[in-house]
Amino acid sequence: MSATLDMLGMNPQIDAAAEHSPATRVEAVLVKAVLEGDRDGFGQLYGLYAPLVHGILLARVPRPEVDDLVQDIFLHAFKKLHTLRDASAFGPWIAMIARNRAVDFHRRSKETVEINDDLRGSDTHDSRAAEILELVRSLPEAYRETLVLRLVEGMTGPEIAARTGLTAASVRVNLHRGMKLLREKLGFMEGL
Amino acid sequence: MNEDYLWDKSGQPDPQIQELEEILGTLRYQPKPLVIPRDLVAPPRRRNYFPLLAIAATVLAALLAAGVWIQVRTSSEPQPEQAKVPTVVEEPRRDPVVKDSTPANKPVSKESTVASNIRRRHNTSAIKRLEREEAVAAKEQLMIALRVATEKLSLVHRKTQTTTPANQIKNQHRIG
Repeated sequence: MSATLDMLGMNPQIDAAAEHSPATRVEAVLVKAVLEGDRDGFGQLYGLYAPLVHGILLARVPRPEVDDLVQDIFLHAFKKLHTLRDASAFGPWIAMIARNRAVDFHRRSKETVEINDDLRGSDTHDSRAAEILELVRSLPEAYRETLVLRLVEGMTGPEIAARTGLTAASVRVNLHRGMKLLREKLGFMEGL
Repeated sequence: MNEDYLWDKSGQPDPQIQELEEILGTLRYQPKPLVIPRDLVAPPRRRNYFPLLAIAATVLAALLAAGVWIQVRTSSEPQPEQAKVPTVVEEPRRDPVVKDSTPANKPVSKESTVASNIRRRHNTSAIKRLEREEAVAAKEQLMIALRVATEKLSLVHRKTQTTTPANQIKNQHRIG
């Protein structure tokens, strides 16, 4: 990845201008490279944005379905990349695709069966994680997506804002209020 | 709750958030390679020619409008007679160039001068005809006026000669 970025002249360590918004500049260069036929460039975009898409899906759809949906979403994005007008807005664009795909998923399937599947865990630690995730999913949509990206995917607030296209203030509010609601819900759980 | 830690993982770590991170971290995305089928090709970006076409159409429309406006303006202005003069004058200028190969009285220059003379004759004859008609009309009016005046004078002369002395006395009485 670093080698390709060097070739494109967009290595954040080399390009001083890229220090202001390296993520958006890098993704814009990668999108242009993919549109010119560089398939490896899309692999790099996948590496950068797969955790974001995974987190968005995890906040909405059953866990066993998430990995396949991530692949589907990136293949769809690869086919439709030419429709992306602003190359630097790849993150918000693919986040929107992921949200729409989650809505489509719920339209086509029966949620009750999938929740039962989701709650099955291989061990107690996994089942606790699934229970907490279910509590997070019961929160309002804006809060649960931000909390999953923060607590599950390990992103910081500024990273979430940069990748989803939301403002830092919105992310901060969502994190604070979502965490407050989650703590209230967790108060009823034992062991935490 | 430590807000800074929740926001960007800075400051004093919040134990409850750390515990949540530890438990939920097991669900984190596990990197898997993306398999793109070989026959799947990203279509090239569609060039959006609309702005260019819009600019070209605007420029074309502006040029057409300017052309129409200039044509309308020039046709509505009355063309003075002098405006034709330069075209007539230009032709004799060619004479020296032609003189080298042809004799002095060459037909081309003659034709041009004859043509200009014919135009002038046409113009002057038309003017003279109008003037003559006006003069004839004026003359007729003058002749009529003279005839009327002559008739009146002769009438007065006759009246003065036919008056009697009695009448004169009568008239003097009236006056007095």
